[in-house]
Amino acid sequence: MRYQVKHTTTYKYAARVTHCYNLANLAPRNTNRQKCISSQIIVTPQAIHSNIRTDYFGNQRYHFEIQTAHSELSITAQSEIEIQEQRPGLDLDFGITYGDVLNRLREGISEDVIMAREFCLDSPMVRASEALADYARPSFELSRSLYSSVSELTSRIFNDFTYTPGFTTIATPLSEVLSHKKGVCQDFAHLQVGCLRAMGIPAMYVSGYMETLPPPGQEKLVGADATHAWIAYFSPDEGWIEFDPTNDVRAEGQHIVTAFGRDYYDVTPLKGVIFGGGKSPILEVSVDVSRQD
Amino acid sequence: MSRKKVYNTAANIRAINAQHWSLSSFERWVFVSDSIYPQNQPLPQPQLQMQSQTQGQTQGLRYSRPAASLSDPVYTPEGNIKPEWDYLLSSLDNLGAKALNERSEKARRILRDDGVTYNIYDDQTTPKSRWELDLVPAIIGSEDWATIESGLLERAELFNLMLKDFYGQRTLLKQHALPPEALFGHGGFLRACDGIQLPGEHELILHSVDMIQRQDGSMCVTSDRTQAPSGAGYVLENRTVMSRVFPSLFRDSHVHRLASFFQRLRHKLISLSPSQNQARVVVLTPGAHNETYFEHSYISNYLGFPLVQSADLVVRNGFVWMKSLEGLGRVDVILRRIDDVFCDPVELRSDSQLGVPGLLDVVRSGRVVMANPLGSGVLENPILLKFLPQISKTLLGREPRLDSVNTYWCGDDADLKFVTANISNLIVKPIYRGALMKSVWGGDLSKTELDDLLAKIKHRPQQFVAQERIEKSHIPSFTTNGLEPRPSILRTFSVAADNSYIVMPGGLTRVGLSVGSQLISMQAGCPSKDTWVTATEPERVQEDSSPDTSQSEQEALLVSLPSRVVENLFWMGRYAERAEASLRILRTVFMLINGEQSISKASQKVLLRSITEITGTQPGFLAATDEELANPEEELLLIIKDGSRPGSIKSTLNSLLYSADESKELLSSDTIRVINDIGDALDNLDASLSEGLSSAPEEALDPLVIPLIALSGLMQESMVRSTGWRFMDMGRRVERAIQIMKTITTLTSPMVDKADNETILHAMLRSMEVLITYRRHSRARGGIELGLELVMLDTNNPRSLIFQFEHLQSHFAALKRGDMNIRELEEEDRVLLEAITSLKLSRIAHLVECTDGSRGKLALLLSQLNKLLSDFSNLVSDKYFDHRVDPQQLVSTFWGD
Repeated sequence: MRYQVKHTTTYKYAARVTHCYNLANLAPRNTNRQKCISSQIIVTPQAIHSNIRTDYFGNQRYHFEIQTAHSELSITAQSEIEIQEQRPGLDLDFGITYGDVLNRLREGISEDVIMAREFCLDSPMVRASEALADYARPSFELSRSLYSSVSELTSRIFNDFTYTPGFTTIATPLSEVLSHKKGVCQDFAHLQVGCLRAMGIPAMYVSGYMETLPPPGQEKLVGADATHAWIAYFSPDEGWIEFDPTNDVRAEGQHIVTAFGRDYYDVTPLKGVIFGGGKSPILEVSVDVSRQD
Repeated sequence: MSRKKVYNTAANIRAINAQHWSLSSFERWVFVSDSIYPQNQPLPQPQLQMQSQTQGQTQGLRYSRPAASLSDPVYTPEGNIKPEWDYLLSSLDNLGAKALNERSEKARRILRDDGVTYNIYDDQTTPKSRWELDLVPAIIGSEDWATIESGLLERAELFNLMLKDFYGQRTLLKQHALPPEALFGHGGFLRACDGIQLPGEHELILHSVDMIQRQDGSMCVTSDRTQAPSGAGYVLENRTVMSRVFPSLFRDSHVHRLASFFQRLRHKLISLSPSQNQARVVVLTPGAHNETYFEHSYISNYLGFPLVQSADLVVRNGFVWMKSLEGLGRVDVILRRIDDVFCDPVELRSDSQLGVPGLLDVVRSGRVVMANPLGSGVLENPILLKFLPQISKTLLGREPRLDSVNTYWCGDDADLKFVTANISNLIVKPIYRGALMKSVWGGDLSKTELDDLLAKIKHRPQQFVAQERIEKSHIPSFTTNGLEPRPSILRTFSVAADNSYIVMPGGLTRVGLSVGSQLISMQAGCPSKDTWVTATEPERVQEDSSPDTSQSEQEALLVSLPSRVVENLFWMGRYAERAEASLRILRTVFMLINGEQSISKASQKVLLRSITEITGTQPGFLAATDEELANPEEELLLIIKDGSRPGSIKSTLNSLLYSADESKELLSSDTIRVINDIGDALDNLDASLSEGLSSAPEEALDPLVIPLIALSGLMQESMVRSTGWRFMDMGRRVERAIQIMKTITTLTSPMVDKADNETILHAMLRSMEVLITYRRHSRARGGIELGLELVMLDTNNPRSLIFQFEHLQSHFAALKRGDMNIRELEEEDRVLLEAITSLKLSRIAHLVECTDGSRGKLALLLSQLNKLLSDFSNLVSDKYFDHRVDPQQLVSTFWGD
């Protein structure tokens, strides 16, 4: 399946920005199930200096510096991505058990297992806690397959939590999300990452897009898609497997990955330092995901 | 941080300071074992008091054998003094306590005059802390040193390879030499720095080690410093002092020299340059508020590299540049004294005010090199000490020669069990400095505190280690009781050179305040010592044959002054003049109010108001009631010593000291000495004013007036007429012109009583130091006409208005070199020309005219001149000074610990 994604971010500042240094995580990376065919980033006003590089996590990071004074900054990333058909063979009840995974992780013999242990640790925005473990525990039994455990956890988050835009900000702590059972996709992804780590399972935060289909009989609206977030967990032999707690699905054909990280901090779509700009800029984001048949 | 507004900038400076203080995370002079040492803990009593007292009575100065329980490097087991200590101890014995005291005094004076501090006033009340030097050096014999040195060389190599591996292949994890959590869980592992590589063989440029000598004489490392190790500059200063205080003892002891270490450091930094052209190296400091700022400016001066702060640097078009008077100059190498996470708010700590936005991306592209590289803080992780033998076997094929302190990692189940069982005999520390808590000695904690600590550890076990406490060896130190044993710790310094490292012979020794004391920290006033590596033969002085010496001398000239330094010189001139003018008017008024001839109420009111105007401490006497005017003492005291009030003497002088610190590297040693005198006088101000102003108040101000006059003399007579000097003098001229105009305005207002007119005219002339000239003239003619002529139009009077404007004109002309062909006058020229012309064209007879109780024409002229002066000042400021707007984050991000 081939997709085209157009993602435009616009900042409108209260005062002139004379100079800025920014960092964007907007160009999709390659993963074991997707390939980024092409990707182009257009910045207005024009950047005086820019470069793109592969970062620590294998993501594409775009650095740019603008010297032209401006009161509006817009960044458009336009990419074409090929998503491979999911390889079959993962069965809910037969894969490696949770108990075996814990042992394999502890022994740490193979390189991929050693390196995956990084994602068991606390990260800037996700700290494993007893409360998260308590929430996750009912789905985890040592003799049960890990895949089925994570799948159930995903469903439980989907059922227990209400998708409520505006209830949380990016600074809302996980404990609050857990007690109010409300949030958006970032919160649910962070929550599930925290739960998995609390249970000793390496987990990553995944940022990206999801193709949305209009209600039957209606035209799809341009720009109505959104950035999305979900998780990936690690299982020895099986590798990294993605689940989407916001939609209670395994992330596959319709999920387009931008970046992997320990949490949102590692994959923030756009950050940087500006000189000037005044207070509270207005942020506008528009995303279009279209299938290229 | 623009400071172009002419008045009330002290408040601004405080604001700037406040911003920085909250963010400085630099290594403090607290050594490993001891960061939290309860203040109320009784310090162990010296065990040798009896012996020492008897020594004190004799002329000589003997060092007796310490108690057998102490680790002692001086005496052999048989009770003889070891040969390396023998010469020193017998020399000190011959010298005697009295002479050593005198030399200590001399050393203290030298250190003070050199301005050696380890921390600077971090608020307006605490005085600076001086650097303490114990004159009895720590001695290490050549052979023992050779063993230590080879251990340090190997350790530096090992840490270099670890750094390469952590930000490269991470084979140490893959080959099971180190558990992944030990690396990935450490706050100093900066993922943004992954893959950065320096030119040349080494990633780790500077490596410092804190170590303790054990009972058996071997050394044991307690921690490694790999960010921006401090101390080398203090070693150099200690050595300088020692060689001056004990010239012959030093010479005859054949002490290994330090110079080649610094030459190699300089050579290495230059060789790191990615540029084909001559290397431009700068030293990056967090600023004058940092506790080791003395060292930053000392080292930058010694190496001949400019000292810059982050605001002096800017990233443009993929390069790093320094803002200077000539515009932007490219920077190739940065010796940083800022912790890595603070260096770039775009990719590292986003709340850092000490960083240069975009720096890390330039580093990554290799267009600027930082030493130590960003990310090197990962090597300060104490978990590494536990795994060092395996790491060393993996990387070097053998175990390290130099031992490290036994370290238990709470992330390891067996270790955690051990720590839980033995916590009261262990030092517990977080693996990442600054996070979670400071290190503590379990033995100091109560049962409840221990339980709290264990709970904290169990919550995040991977974030804690525990270490054994090693009994420190005790070495002879000079105390009030003579020579006594004191616990000691040594910091060593290594720098990458060619294929290996060079170790500074010796290092920085620090001693505790009492026998057995665990706390060795600068905050507690623990002294440092020079460390002598002694040879039986004098060291051959090697000619430095490195080819870059002559070439590198030129580079220092290539890089000019950062704009900030120039701006601070300008402000230093202004504050010095402002303080002088304020003190002068205060003294004049004291003299008149307390004089034998009483003055009228009307005159007193005018005089007191002039103080408020000239010091800029409104509302003050302008809003005072008659009663307050009759009893002005309270307000006068506040004008002098209330540091929180902009315009007060104390506040102005604090601003002066701040500006001087910021431009320290350009000040001569005499100037620094005078600046220190001002600082001392300020510290003593409260004491000298404790009696109020009742008797001879002018004298209480003398300790401030005298160094200020000395400063002004030095500025005129001892500074090269460089650009820096011109800015400093321009600052002085601008400020003096402002003060003259304020003085004229307040002290020429017409009074009803003729005698009052005379009183305030004399006050004006006295405060401007032209009263004597006036009196000589006034036999022929006198009054306000002559007075005004002297203070406004007399081109021979260095305190006249026209004199200031003419000097500004000549300074500005000198700054515009190379633009000789430009015919049209620049704006600055026009402004000054207009001021000078209107002064010259003015007629005294008109100016003194008085209608409706005021001199309208004088007031008009002065207000015109004031406007022109402020225009000039703003033009200069816009053109030459840096007006950076503070950066802000595009989106708020997080930085976990």
